[in-house]
Amino acid sequence: MNHQEAIQEMAVERYLLGELSGASLDNFEEHLFECSECAMEVKIGGTFIDSVRTEVSVPRRVAAPRVESARSWTSWFTSPWFLAPALAACLLILAFQTFVLQPRMKLEIAQAQAPAVLNPLILANAGPRGDSIPEIVAPEHGSLVVSLDVPTTGGFSSYRCSLIAPDGSLLWQTTVSPEQARDALLISMPTNKTKEGLNTFLIQGLPVGSSSSGTLKDLAKYRFRIKIQK
Amino acid sequence: MNFVTFDASYVSKLRTGDAPTEQHFITYFSELILLKLRSRLRSQELIEDVKQETFSRTLSLIRSEGGLRHAERLGPLVNSICNNVLMEQYRSSNRVEALEDETAQRLVETRPNALSTVISDDTGKLVRHVLNGLNERDRSLLQAVFLEERDKDEVCREFGVDRDYLRVLLHRAKASFRVVYSKQVDAKKSGLVFG
Repeated sequence: MNHQEAIQEMAVERYLLGELSGASLDNFEEHLFECSECAMEVKIGGTFIDSVRTEVSVPRRVAAPRVESARSWTSWFTSPWFLAPALAACLLILAFQTFVLQPRMKLEIAQAQAPAVLNPLILANAGPRGDSIPEIVAPEHGSLVVSLDVPTTGGFSSYRCSLIAPDGSLLWQTTVSPEQARDALLISMPTNKTKEGLNTFLIQGLPVGSSSSGTLKDLAKYRFRIKIQK
Repeated sequence: MNFVTFDASYVSKLRTGDAPTEQHFITYFSELILLKLRSRLRSQELIEDVKQETFSRTLSLIRSEGGLRHAERLGPLVNSICNNVLMEQYRSSNRVEALEDETAQRLVETRPNALSTVISDDTGKLVRHVLNGLNERDRSLLQAVFLEERDKDEVCREFGVDRDYLRVLLHRAKASFRVVYSKQVDAKKSGLVFG
């Protein structure tokens, strides 16, 4: 076989496709080993065919390896070491609110909203004259009402009314204008703002012309006993 | 790939053990021997054994007293010696059958062979380029023939083409590949990157 015959017979393609056999195969291979042009065609074709096999049989796209990104500091909040105690704490708070705080608040609200007859403790001229000390029984979650007179002798621009606990501490204090002092004062107080025992209402006057921080003059002391009903 | 001429000077250098010439000789005929043997021998080890023995005997003959009288017959000499070594290999394996079609078909190496293992990523890109230039039918046709190793007559019937069409298709694809492959080789020689 010469080169012209090889071209005409497409011997290279037949060889690559495995179509040659017997004498035709021997003839072409003898030519192939002496013809550098056919040798090159066969080498090119062989490389092409092998590449086709490789390219088609191997997936072209391979998933990129997943790279674990650096953990940021915020990832600490999603850590089980943080989440588990946090969840437990939330459950405790929720249980405390549900079973302790809310029932107590509901009870107090109900008691405060329930209609009730209040008997005011009238303190007018009680303590100063050495009379027996009056007593008031107040519900633990309710309130008490005290009525007292402010001695308005004139010469005072305002009056201060202070509630002093049995231990001498100041429980509550308010300023009363001369207009308010003309009539008896009705003071309503939540029981939980008072202390059981001998309490004292101290009435003081601020002389006319004195500044608000001026010296007060004691005008009256009303002593009374509080008994809390539980 | 360069066209080579095996002349007296070339053979003389082989006889004297000129290293570059010997290296060229080995490289040039290694590919041809691989292509020749892969349809005849099952394992890469056997192919390598036959190839090495072929080179050994050829170089011994060239360097012997009588030597090679006709330098232009170097290629056919290599082919002839390769055939002899191959026959001896068959005999040693109790496989003395002639290379009939049936035997050749049975021994066809369907796995990627030694040649394909050295196919570079660049070559793969070139082949993809060539395949993408084909229409869907031609691409599937080549895939069915070369990858699935199906019977070619059956494949041709399925695609509604004849064997001539398949040869021409291979010829065109090979020609396209040769163009881009040559560009790549030239680019590498000149230090450029083809892609």
